[in-house]
Amino acid sequence: MRNVRLLALYVRRSFLEWMGFRSFLFTLVVNQAVAPVLGLAVWSAALPERSGISTYFIALLAVQLTTVSYEYHTVSMGIYQGNLNDNLLRPHPMVIAPLGENLATRAWHLLIGLPIIVIAMAATGVAFDAGNVVLALPALALAAALRFLFTYALALSALWGQQSGGVTELGTILVFLLGGLAAPIPLMPESIRPFGEALPFRAMLGFPAEIATGNLSTQEIVQGYGWQALWLAVFAAVAMVVWTAGVRRYTALGG
Amino acid sequence: MAAIHVNDLGMTFRAPLREEGLRAAANSLFKREHRQIEAVRQVSFDLDPGEVVGFLGPNGAGKTTTLKILSGILQPSRGDVRVLAHVPWRRERAFLRQIAMVRGSRPIGGPGELTVLDSLRFQKVIYEVSDNAFANALAELRRMLDLDPILNRQVRALSLGERMRAGLAMSLVYRPRVLFLDEPTLGLDVSAVGAMRRFIARYARESGATILLTSHYMADVESLCQRILLIDKGSLRYDGPLARLSASLTPFKVLNVEVTVGTGPVWEEFGEVTEASADRATLRVHRDRAPAATARLLAELPVTDLSVGDPPLESVIDRVYREGVA
Repeated sequence: MRNVRLLALYVRRSFLEWMGFRSFLFTLVVNQAVAPVLGLAVWSAALPERSGISTYFIALLAVQLTTVSYEYHTVSMGIYQGNLNDNLLRPHPMVIAPLGENLATRAWHLLIGLPIIVIAMAATGVAFDAGNVVLALPALALAAALRFLFTYALALSALWGQQSGGVTELGTILVFLLGGLAAPIPLMPESIRPFGEALPFRAMLGFPAEIATGNLSTQEIVQGYGWQALWLAVFAAVAMVVWTAGVRRYTALGG
Repeated sequence: MAAIHVNDLGMTFRAPLREEGLRAAANSLFKREHRQIEAVRQVSFDLDPGEVVGFLGPNGAGKTTTLKILSGILQPSRGDVRVLAHVPWRRERAFLRQIAMVRGSRPIGGPGELTVLDSLRFQKVIYEVSDNAFANALAELRRMLDLDPILNRQVRALSLGERMRAGLAMSLVYRPRVLFLDEPTLGLDVSAVGAMRRFIARYARESGATILLTSHYMADVESLCQRILLIDKGSLRYDGPLARLSASLTPFKVLNVEVTVGTGPVWEEFGEVTEASADRATLRVHRDRAPAATARLLAELPVTDLSVGDPPLESVIDRVYREGVA
């Protein structure tokens, strides 16, 4: 309960902090929206007869804004700039601070990005089925948690060296290529589609959008949730191991 | 029971090493060389509750490393450390709630967009300070640190002196029992330095907190600390009263002599001259020869004034920093 209260405190603090960077936030949101909007334009033109393609990319835009993670900037840079020492001195689990920042950033992305979503829906005439949206919401929450844990674990590589920027960027590229943004997973060739469905990247991005689009069978939805749950457990364990080993190294080597 | 107990503390870092030049840089990609750096070695001391102790040493002597170990940021390579009966690097909640570390180079760690009052309220929740205790602490800190003009200002807009006041308030609002102050007057102007010293002295007196202070300003140490720990090249070289520091570290006495105008003595015959004019001189004489030199001065010169004392602390420490402890 105390940790939830502290998380709310960090969300509030970070939300207030971001108010001071409103114009920068706009550029971040536009940057995050570019790929889904381009995907919408390109894939709608390429496959005009395919039903649900516009719906998918608009849903993907919403998922992208809700799951966006900048842990390289909050965690890695914090380690490089010495902010980790401040966090180590605070009487609470270290992860609460970056998680709070993450949630506040996503709230701002959704607030600022909402008009883009509404405009895209109006321009394409897309309407979502309320039942599909409700089915997609738990998947969206799991995707948000999974993407945070994934990026957080990569960002902690800053505890080992100066290459954390490259490591987290590699993660971003993998999410872009294999998460359903460069190409929707259902449109991948038969031979590689099973891999795309099983890898963690679809669970972070494309899966909630596919549910909201309404193109998945019940069995596919259950299977997708299964993959999400599995990857969430894996990345939670990985993040914990990386943190424990990293902080041991950090405290042994001099901060 | 000691508030801080340190026994045989040692900290060794493994630092990467390579020759200069492109070839060496390329080779280092495949074969990395390291060397061991012993930042702290065999340091032992105890601090009683309520003690205010100065922790001195030249740059790179191991002061900040020791403070980081005591506050739980670093885990030492060896040795036994207890702060308020806790092992610091386990960073237990009960331990972290009772300590604070204030760095003059970075007094405030939180986001600059928040106001000072926002930041204080943030500390209140993090450190589980009750409403009543927070109100009392805030009222006291407002008075002692003159916080009213800055309470509603954003942290990023504060001057260095104001940031230090705010940083201290943020660290003290939860009433830590042990306070680590790392260069608390760094970069402050004369009046801000004076105010800071008065505040720290008063806080120590009224709260009974144990304070370990590092500073390069001897005046900070002289005005706040009865006891000094001097560290050099990672080893503790002196632990004792400030008053005995000079005697322990230098084998010299300083003789200030004044003679009748027009005498024109050859000062070099009586000792090493550090400052001289026609009728006045400051001489440096080995401790063992000071009585004989004083007797000679009185016997051979028309002395009008004579004083014998230890060298100023500032110059002793300066000598230690430049040449190390003998």
